[in-house]
Amino acid sequence: MKIWRDLRPVLLPFIAAQPGQLALGAGLATLTVLMGMGLLGLSGWFITATAYAGLATTTALAFDVFMPSAGIRLLALGRTASRYAERLVTHDATFAVLATLRVRLFRGWAQPDAARALLARPSRLLFRLTSDLDALESLYLRILVPALAAFGAALLAGIVAGVMRPYMGVLLALWLIVAGWGLALVVAYRARTAAVRRARSIEALRAHAVDLVAGQTELVMAGRIDAQRDLLAATDRQLAGADLALNRLESGASMGYSLIGTLTLVAVLLAAGVLVGEGAIGAPAAALMLLVALTATEPFAALRRGAVESGRTWLAARRLAPRLATSGLETSPAVAPSPGTAVQLENVVAVHPCSPSPVLHRVSLHVAAGERVALIGPSGAGKSTLMAVVAGELAPREGTVQAQQHCLLTQRTELFQDSLRDNLRLANPSADDARLWRVLHSAGLQADVAALENDLATPLGEGGLGLSGGQSRRLALARLLLRDVPLWLLDEPTEALDPLTAHDVLQRLAIHADGKTLLIATHLRREAELADRLLCVREGRIVADLHRGEPAFEAALATLRPD
Amino acid sequence: MALQKPPTHALPSTGRRDPGSIVQGASALVWVPQAALLAWAVQRLADGGGLAGVLVPAAAFLLLGLVRATAEAWGARRVFAAARAQLSTLRAQAAIALASRSPMDPARPASGMAASVIAEQAEAVVPYLVRYQPARWRAMVVPLVILPVVACLSWMAALVLLLAAPLIPVFMALVGWRAKAASEAQMVEMGSMNAFLLDRLRGLGTLRALAAVDATADRLSESAQSLRTRTMAVLRIAFLSSAVLELFSAIGVALVAAYIGFHLLGSLQFGTWGHRLSLAEGMFILLLAPAFFEPLRELSAVWHDRAAGEAALESLAKLSLGGVPLPGAQTPVSAIVDTRSPPSLHLRGLHFAHPGQTSCITGLNLHVAAGEHIALTGASGSGKTTLLSLIAGLLAAQQGTITVGGVHVSDTTVAALRTRMVWMGQKSHVFAGSVRTNVALGRAGVDTTQVEAAIHFAALDNVAQAQVGVALGEGGTGLSGGEAVRLALARVAVHTSADIILVDEPTAHLDTETAERVADALLSLARGKTLIAATHDPVLAARMQRVVQLDAVQAREVA
Repeated sequence: MKIWRDLRPVLLPFIAAQPGQLALGAGLATLTVLMGMGLLGLSGWFITATAYAGLATTTALAFDVFMPSAGIRLLALGRTASRYAERLVTHDATFAVLATLRVRLFRGWAQPDAARALLARPSRLLFRLTSDLDALESLYLRILVPALAAFGAALLAGIVAGVMRPYMGVLLALWLIVAGWGLALVVAYRARTAAVRRARSIEALRAHAVDLVAGQTELVMAGRIDAQRDLLAATDRQLAGADLALNRLESGASMGYSLIGTLTLVAVLLAAGVLVGEGAIGAPAAALMLLVALTATEPFAALRRGAVESGRTWLAARRLAPRLATSGLETSPAVAPSPGTAVQLENVVAVHPCSPSPVLHRVSLHVAAGERVALIGPSGAGKSTLMAVVAGELAPREGTVQAQQHCLLTQRTELFQDSLRDNLRLANPSADDARLWRVLHSAGLQADVAALENDLATPLGEGGLGLSGGQSRRLALARLLLRDVPLWLLDEPTEALDPLTAHDVLQRLAIHADGKTLLIATHLRREAELADRLLCVREGRIVADLHRGEPAFEAALATLRPD
Repeated sequence: MALQKPPTHALPSTGRRDPGSIVQGASALVWVPQAALLAWAVQRLADGGGLAGVLVPAAAFLLLGLVRATAEAWGARRVFAAARAQLSTLRAQAAIALASRSPMDPARPASGMAASVIAEQAEAVVPYLVRYQPARWRAMVVPLVILPVVACLSWMAALVLLLAAPLIPVFMALVGWRAKAASEAQMVEMGSMNAFLLDRLRGLGTLRALAAVDATADRLSESAQSLRTRTMAVLRIAFLSSAVLELFSAIGVALVAAYIGFHLLGSLQFGTWGHRLSLAEGMFILLLAPAFFEPLRELSAVWHDRAAGEAALESLAKLSLGGVPLPGAQTPVSAIVDTRSPPSLHLRGLHFAHPGQTSCITGLNLHVAAGEHIALTGASGSGKTTLLSLIAGLLAAQQGTITVGGVHVSDTTVAALRTRMVWMGQKSHVFAGSVRTNVALGRAGVDTTQVEAAIHFAALDNVAQAQVGVALGEGGTGLSGGEAVRLALARVAVHTSADIILVDEPTAHLDTETAERVADALLSLARGKTLIAATHDPVLAARMQRVVQLDAVQAREVA
């Protein structure tokens, strides 16, 4: 079954994460429902029985009031306790499961191909991820738990009726399960398209809103700002259409459950009439049957919301499944080159996923250990792709890649919502504070950090301290220094820095790069000057290999952008 | 231009109710006669009537059940439709407010924030209106109807109900107070776990480069566990409030059942108005008891919707606040401007300052001849971008005048004047859509051939993302720096009828080769047109007919 195939990769890890807690939560939910039914059923029986007994003083005195009234008290307190426990256990289990899933998802996204896809279109994928995770929550709380509790209610009603007439019990339980679950399934099935349409419309609405605000200048200048607002309104109308369709289903489901409840009660009332008429049961048993039937359909109505939202849950499961399926293992560890060699590329052909033609055409490259090499060329020539291939971020379609252990200094410095200390220790979890201060000193950031009130404990990132462009670069440099690797890959390390800061950062880099191999991708003269060897990249090929001292080397440097 | 009044977010007041919500509320009360019918049926069974005895109550119960289900569904749909329409209005108001605000307003909300509010957070308004508001109303009305009905039969049973729900307002406050804590704790838990994951995924490139994936996964797990422990500590107390509610409602039902039982048995004679209750009356009271508490339990279940809905309304109201207005935002394009020859520009005595900041343009005078190409230079902060924005009418000067081709830039003329301008900003926005829609931007009178020509001119046709069916922008793939500049050039090229080209830092952060190609392309596009380019790049400035040093030009006439 298709839906099962889509749900399985999510459902299995979901359940496997906390099987005991999840089962306990569902069990407690069922117990709460059963106790509620018992409370009302027993009360109905008690009242009717006492009314009978109260007709004559002798029967009234003989009537055992202790057992039923104690039962009622017990059920009243028991229902409260189990409801409280149910809420605690289901919430705790959901949090725990979602925590486990988040870690698995993170590892899934950290795989090279997934990571590249994520970095190419972060806004949509990250936005989806949040809403998908929220949608998964309802899988347990709104679908599995109420479905099980409702099943328990149907069984209890069946047992109570079955004591009077077995076939009636079987019929009642079957009818409740078939009608109650069946309605939920029909609603879930019919809500699928609208739920998916709704999710997509929200994404479109978001995209149009981003375009309206971020692209306002372009829109105003093109006289299209009102058209963009109309587009936003039209998308909202589409969304409203899906919302209304889902609401029709939800109110229809609620009407359906209300009718199932009425029909069940009427049928049980008629059956009780027949049984009482035959003298098979007394009025107290009839009252018990009626009140149990009255409460048996209530838990099914709780399935309504889960059924309407199940389309969204299914979509979330389908989208998250590939990331959950991957194991935590990193694929293809870099092959170490022969001693004395830092990087060895043989006939590498590299292709970007959505591009028809290769970005690198049969590139071969040998970099000896200790060399300082700069890749230069216009934008789009293939410098960044070549770096990605060396770094192991992009697997070549053809050819072989060998590289020493390396560290890549990316163009952007990412600050994480964490302390400055932990932002640094990402690069080397075992580094102590003394080591951190040393690298901060080397990166020229020591004075800035020491001036902070909480120095290394200062929170960074969103909601924390923002760093200036120069400070972030120095932080990135400090991270690089913490990594004990022989090969440094630098992708436009000082792009967008003012010349003064850039030169200082480059000078510090040069000092600490002693004994390391450097591979720098750049179009700036100041960065290329760090290198003793220039590789000119053009249209996916290395067209020149120049060494310091050659006249062509200086000529090539001179074509690069000065400060 | 008159400042736009910030729209007020009027919600349906509790006084004037939609028929839908009244019908929905009233349908909950249909249970009262239904309960009476059931009680009557039990009485008839006890009186020895068999199937024949219950036929009438069963039929009447069925009929009322149909009425109740239909009324509930009808009311629910009506309430939903009204709430959904309200959401559309709120979204439209926010969009108008955002579109009428100058794009150069530094206090303008960030696009990502605005989009999350409009698209996602605003969704919480509907559950708030559909679930919370009616639930609140039911919690006030239903118990007040049931209590007198019960009291008519037995003041003792009514007293039990009243005592079980000590004072309904106090009870509701108790529910609200703790349910609020619970829903907040839960939102914080979910929010911060998601935030942690998103924060790390956003920086995945760095994490991979530092080989910190495993360490980060462990941190993620650790922090989720510690957060879970802390949140559960809050929830353990917060859930107590709903447990108290459960306890009172369960004890209420149990006490009513016990009292009626003992009363019917004859052990408790008091509590009624002089006569002993019949079985039907006792059963009726028992059936009403859970219905008395039900609305309160419902209300505590939807408390989360209230917190989220009110937060959403607040965020939407914040988005709809006016800021620095965009000139001419409320004026449709009216005048058709004569564009037979490129215009000259006259700027006289311009003053401009962003709200709360020192002025960045003071007494500026500048004349640009028809078809002249000038470079605006000056240190960052000297007002180059601001000046371009004033000319394009993206900001209104506090003093001074700008005339373009003899037409004074004002609220009424600015939209028409913009049709003869083309703008290339520092960072052009990539719209969700194909490369073609990104180039054409939906301009009127631009056909496919023109778009193709512009794409070819900017050498965009061999860019990987320019393939048919590949989407860009939000939800699509990104463009590299060089490709983004080529897209911006194509946008200039497609607007052939423009005769004023305003360009902001077109060669910043480009390699020399690409920068040279961009300059070539701009100059070829600007042939016979007026070009004003703000730039730091001495190579580009040298290719213009005149360089205007912005710091020096202030307060003096430039010939």
